Amino acid sequence: MSQAPAQRETRERIAKALEGIDHQTSESRDGMTCVDVDRDGLHETLLRLRDFAGFSQITFVTAIDRHPAEPRFEVAHQLWACAYADRVRVRTRVNGDDPRLPSCVDLWPGAGFMERECFDMFGVGFDGHEGLKRLLMPEEYEHHPLRKEFPHQGIEPDKLYREWDAARRAEWEASS
Amino acid sequence: MGPLTPSALEPVETADAGFLATRADALVNWGRKNSLWPMPLGLSCCGIELMAMIGPKFDIARFGAEAARFSPRQCDLLIVAGTLTWKMAQACRTIYDQMPDPKWVIAMGVCSSSGGMYDSYAVVQGVDSLLPVDVYVPGCPPRPDAVIDALLKLQKRIERENPLKRVISGPATELDDTGTGARVYQPNAAVRRSMLDRHPHAPRAPRPLPHPGGEEEPS
Repeated sequence: MSQAPAQRETRERIAKALEGIDHQTSESRDGMTCVDVDRDGLHETLLRLRDFAGFSQITFVTAIDRHPAEPRFEVAHQLWACAYADRVRVRTRVNGDDPRLPSCVDLWPGAGFMERECFDMFGVGFDGHEGLKRLLMPEEYEHHPLRKEFPHQGIEPDKLYREWDAARRAEWEASS
Repeated sequence: MGPLTPSALEPVETADAGFLATRADALVNWGRKNSLWPMPLGLSCCGIELMAMIGPKFDIARFGAEAARFSPRQCDLLIVAGTLTWKMAQACRTIYDQMPDPKWVIAMGVCSSSGGMYDSYAVVQGVDSLLPVDVYVPGCPPRPDAVIDALLKLQKRIERENPLKRVISGPATELDDTGTGARVYQPNAAVRRSMLDRHPHAPRAPRPLPHPGGEEEPS
């Protein structure tokens, strides 16, 4: 398969930066360069891509739930190199029973919100993230909405509201 | 409006000054319906149409309802404009409870009327599961004309209310809508809760949930 010169240059730069780390480079269907690493090498990979390959900015952190398959979650970090005008996607597979991987907040502080959203929607934990709490759903909510087993209309979406309302009602009845 | 001459302070013949005979509750209703102060709860795109409605082009000042206050203590018309999420539902209910009696609710747009296209885990499927809604306005978002129409319909309803019944017949206390004698939960003491002037759209029961985790039985 022939590669465009720009993409070949990107892959050479990445291969040079990631020497000594167990990784696989491929091209995704939408034409983006992808780097597959395992959980232990993720932080070092991101660090070297930032410092040695020019990928200065993180644009996206999200996950994909490939439910019946194991490892279940595929966490994707997308990076952008401003000086070279190219992107890379770093993919990591984590198991469903222990969905944890290292945080990259120490590399890019702005990744904190994206990791919080990923934790909120998929239940994937990020080690090293201070204050990893829910971003969109109520903090006491117990489920993770973008997992495959989550039903379309939700699991007791009104539960927290009804509990809050019942507590107010009890307070009102006690005071009157 | 003439100048205030000394003769204006003297007693005058009734026929010269003119007079008006009316019923007291009709007078109260007339005052209420022409001075509805909306509490704009703009939650999504409906909020933009709501702003257009208050602005000079559509100008609900023509109906006495232009005084949009951002404090619920000063309002008597809650306009829920947009998609209400379950996380926001507590705030919405708190705002409604803080509004002084008498108060009315307009559900503006399909999202607040029925959940609209957001049949999902995050969205309240109709604010009438939390609040007593007086007028529903369809549309996504509805044009300001439609909301003005809802305002006029609400004014017609207010005309037919009976505000003095409670004053004359004493406080309506221990009766609820179902007549069981159980006390009805209403944080505002004066909210309608008698058999006589009960609200026609009392909050309906929570919708039975379709998944096996729900506890309610479908009725």
